[in-house]
Amino acid sequence: MPPWVDFEPFIVSGLALGGVYALSGVGLVVLYRATGVLYLAFGAVGAFGALTAWSVTTRAGAPGWVGWLVCVAVAAAVTLGYGLLFGPALARRDPLIKAVATIGLTLILYGVMDLLWTTSGGRARSLALPSDNGGFTVAQIQVTWTQVIALAAGVVLTVGTGAFLRFTKLGTAMRAMANDRDITATLGVPVRKVEAAAWLGCGILGGIAGLLLADLVALDATTLTFLVISSLAAVLIARLRSITVTFVAAIVIGLLHDLLTPITSLTSYRDMTPFVIAAIGLLVLSRHQVMTQSREEA
Amino acid sequence: MRMHIPAPRAHRTRRTIVLAALALAAAGCSSSTSNTAASGSSTTPAAAGSSSSAGAATVSSSQCGSKAGVKATGTPIPLGTIATNQPGTSFTDIPNMAKAYFDCVNANGGINGRPIKYYIATEQTNPAQIAALAKQLVQTDKVVGIVGNTSIIECSVNSSYWQKLGFYIIDSGIAPECYSTPNSAAVNMGPRYSSDGAVQYALTQHVAKVVFDQANVPGTGYIAAGPNALAKAANTPIVDLTENVPITDANSVAIKEVNAAGPNGAVILNFTPPQALVILQAAQKLGLENRVKLWGCSTPCNTDFLAQSLGSKWNGKLFVNAELTPPDDTNTTAMNLYKAILKDYGSSVQGGIGSFSQMGFTEAEIAVHALQSITGPYTVQSVNAAFKAVKDFDTGMLCQLWTYGDYPLHIPNNSDWTVTPKDGKMTTAQGCTLISKVDPQIAQYRSAAGTAANAPTSS
Amino acid sequence: MRATLECASPARIARRPTRPQLIKAGVTAALLLFAFFALPELLSLYYIDTMTQVAVYSMVTLALGLLVGRVGLFSLGQAAVLAIGAWAAARLLFATTQPYPLVLLEAGLITMVAGLLIGLPALRLRGLYLALITLMLAGSITVVLATVNFPNGGHGFLGYNGGLLHIPPIRRPGIAASDPAYYRYSVVVAILMFALVLAHIKTRPGRAWAAIRQSEPAALAAGINIWFYKLWAFALASFITGVAGGVLAGAIHYLYSINFPTQDSITLLAVTLMGGVFSLWGAVVAALLYQFLPALLNNWGVSADWLIILFGLGVLQVLTTAPAGLADQVPRDLRRLGRLLRRGRGDAA
Repeated sequence: MPPWVDFEPFIVSGLALGGVYALSGVGLVVLYRATGVLYLAFGAVGAFGALTAWSVTTRAGAPGWVGWLVCVAVAAAVTLGYGLLFGPALARRDPLIKAVATIGLTLILYGVMDLLWTTSGGRARSLALPSDNGGFTVAQIQVTWTQVIALAAGVVLTVGTGAFLRFTKLGTAMRAMANDRDITATLGVPVRKVEAAAWLGCGILGGIAGLLLADLVALDATTLTFLVISSLAAVLIARLRSITVTFVAAIVIGLLHDLLTPITSLTSYRDMTPFVIAAIGLLVLSRHQVMTQSREEA
Repeated sequence: MRMHIPAPRAHRTRRTIVLAALALAAAGCSSSTSNTAASGSSTTPAAAGSSSSAGAATVSSSQCGSKAGVKATGTPIPLGTIATNQPGTSFTDIPNMAKAYFDCVNANGGINGRPIKYYIATEQTNPAQIAALAKQLVQTDKVVGIVGNTSIIECSVNSSYWQKLGFYIIDSGIAPECYSTPNSAAVNMGPRYSSDGAVQYALTQHVAKVVFDQANVPGTGYIAAGPNALAKAANTPIVDLTENVPITDANSVAIKEVNAAGPNGAVILNFTPPQALVILQAAQKLGLENRVKLWGCSTPCNTDFLAQSLGSKWNGKLFVNAELTPPDDTNTTAMNLYKAILKDYGSSVQGGIGSFSQMGFTEAEIAVHALQSITGPYTVQSVNAAFKAVKDFDTGMLCQLWTYGDYPLHIPNNSDWTVTPKDGKMTTAQGCTLISKVDPQIAQYRSAAGTAANAPTSS
Repeated sequence: MRATLECASPARIARRPTRPQLIKAGVTAALLLFAFFALPELLSLYYIDTMTQVAVYSMVTLALGLLVGRVGLFSLGQAAVLAIGAWAAARLLFATTQPYPLVLLEAGLITMVAGLLIGLPALRLRGLYLALITLMLAGSITVVLATVNFPNGGHGFLGYNGGLLHIPPIRRPGIAASDPAYYRYSVVVAILMFALVLAHIKTRPGRAWAAIRQSEPAALAAGINIWFYKLWAFALASFITGVAGGVLAGAIHYLYSINFPTQDSITLLAVTLMGGVFSLWGAVVAALLYQFLPALLNNWGVSADWLIILFGLGVLQVLTTAPAGLADQVPRDLRRLGRLLRRGRGDAA
């Protein structure tokens, strides 16, 4: 077992990784609470936006902030389009079916991304944010402002959207719609507008997360699209309900993942951390009851 | 992807105009320079200067063939190749550049007047598919030679098939069998010997410890055996690490490497350029680049693109093993011919000037040189015998003269440069240095084939 | 009471097969005979190798279709289960000289045990949770495989030697060493697996699964042990996939962990849905989509990305408009077309 001082830098990097997982995880739970859909295309949509931003800034030479706006706009447009096209058709179906449908969107986006931004031999794309230059030192390693922003974004998202969903009219309408679309419609809620607002919010969140993740992880379609699988761990532990639990679980998973790094016997297996924790967590949580994802639980 | 049709229409038109202009120019000039001419002068090893030769300044692509401007007609000579092309890993630049070379030759006299028909098959690292493609090339496309293979596992999957049929392949190797069987000879050094080169350089800088980190793709044990042998012989402790790719958490990887190496240690990476970039960028963001004595990388890192992306903090900090002649520093006939062909025929080569297209050029160059020596029919037997007979060929792209030969294994490229990024470009840090025969495979090859002489055009 | 139940049992009611059923059986037999005897003679080796892959993956999609269509369990981890089967088969093939059918059986049983170990705790979850936990477990297995690697003739439990200069190929059965012969071998194994599933569907497990899919509370009320039959489905699906893994090992000779990424499980689910989860032919259609179409497109120079996009669109289409997939939709569309034509002819007359 390595000495404690070896673990210190990994605590910092683990928190950063936790922030990455939290960003995706919280986003997924927020979207689930608002639309009733587990939006598995979250990563793909963010990657699509980030790659578009890369094209706009690196190839067309536009300034950075234009790229960010483009990223968010593209992600929002794709998500809104999907929501408006397929939301109503699948609204009455099981949450499982709705989630599998987003897998369809993920595959479409993944294919399109590889067509438009081909992998060519020796080149790699990267997206840098101005917050990369600068930070502070903790435990002998530098922490960039981007990592702080990612963590802060996770916190803001957790607190802000929780409050939004509970206390505002629009938020309540969204929760009601996610629960049961038909009854909500009979109550006089403008379902189409609320639905559109929910999906638009989805997309904007996905775009922002995509930008940050492209900077923190890698600007690569495969990595970013399937990063969502690791983030699902935190989502599952929270049973798709509590945003706060998702956030905390994501941080813990990130910490644990990195803290395993210096332990030589376990280091090759550390990528399993999210999956193992999710599996154990779910099995522990379900030991006394059968866990169903019925509509009443949304 | 099967490609046996020449370039699309627009490209053909452009090429015809260029050819017409060249034909006019050629009419006024004396006979073309053969690409085996030893026209360069050697320079001191450590200098970053260029070797030059009289007449190397203006080279037109028509010099690729024997009869400038004369289009080859007649029965095509079919050649084939298999290359990996999947999301995240694409080696298609190599066969595409080889095809550019063949197109050039076809437009300038062909092989004794006959054009080359080049079948490019792409695969997604699926053994069933790779085996099936080999059979298709042989049985359906009836290729007489295989040139340009670049695949993560093709050598392993098909090596017994090629041996059975008597194909002697000219490839850019990756898998162990590309360097350990009689039927494959590579123009590059591959991950093991390139990592050897990077580790060797670090050892010459007297580092106290070596950390060797590589991507967890097939063959890690085989690859690590080389650096481990070198470090052991130098009495330097070495730590072997692997990372699952694609890397999602580069921070922990960078911290782990730096911690393991210590302040007087070296971190040597063996990854594809995007993964190496992610690790090095993470190290920089974490402020770790100066926490070890030096960083090293096997040949995939040798791109100007990486030098640009990393920035000036890595000047003189990162030492990359270069398997092929640095294109920016060199002004020889062969290098200029390469650039000319790339410009005129290489529109499908996405990476531009760089080691991938250099490898494609070199493989095609060797194949054409061998094919031109054949009198009589072009059959599997005659073509592969010609490939095997290539001896002491100056490709203009490698440290040494290249030989195929009749040996149980082939590592014909076993001497290399070391380059380092400097203000957005890769510049030479150390000239041609032989890979140490402490690596048992190198020892075995040299005892069979001897040590090849340095090419006169190399520095 | 018991006597009444016995009298009413389907086995007692002698039923002559109807004409459509006879035609369907005849067509199926003809296609199978064609696939076994004629296809290898007509195709090049490239396509024979491809069709071997189709045979292998038709077993995988069969198992997945069984879970999804008959029992309503969406598994997002089928590629991982296939990897376990392939691993077990490879280890046995290198370590022993047992005959191939025995190795396939053992690989299937080992995978079945693994499937049961996963299924036992996981079946407490339902719907989306179950699907996601299979994804989590698949992710774990992928990481373990990346570290442990597939056997390649080395020693020890894992049988992996990382430093090999020449990796030995996984052996094939003596009677099926050549590619066309191995194709026929894999077709026979596939037919056996399909027959196994058919036997289940026509007997009590099939009826129990249909009842569970229809309505779990109703099935419970009818006295069906839901947990037991779900576990049986899991076990059967794992067994079949394990056998498929064994056939795969012999087909491709070399196994690498990079060939079983987590993404493949997602794509497998997509093609299984597209092929149709309610009919056995759907599994064959799915396997053709998954293996034959990419080989075809690769030959024509079309990028595989178009296929991924197609699969995504297919999933959306199946879930929104055609839940029974292509295997159901195409015959239905053809019948509709036939009716239109007949009506048109009738009008014209």
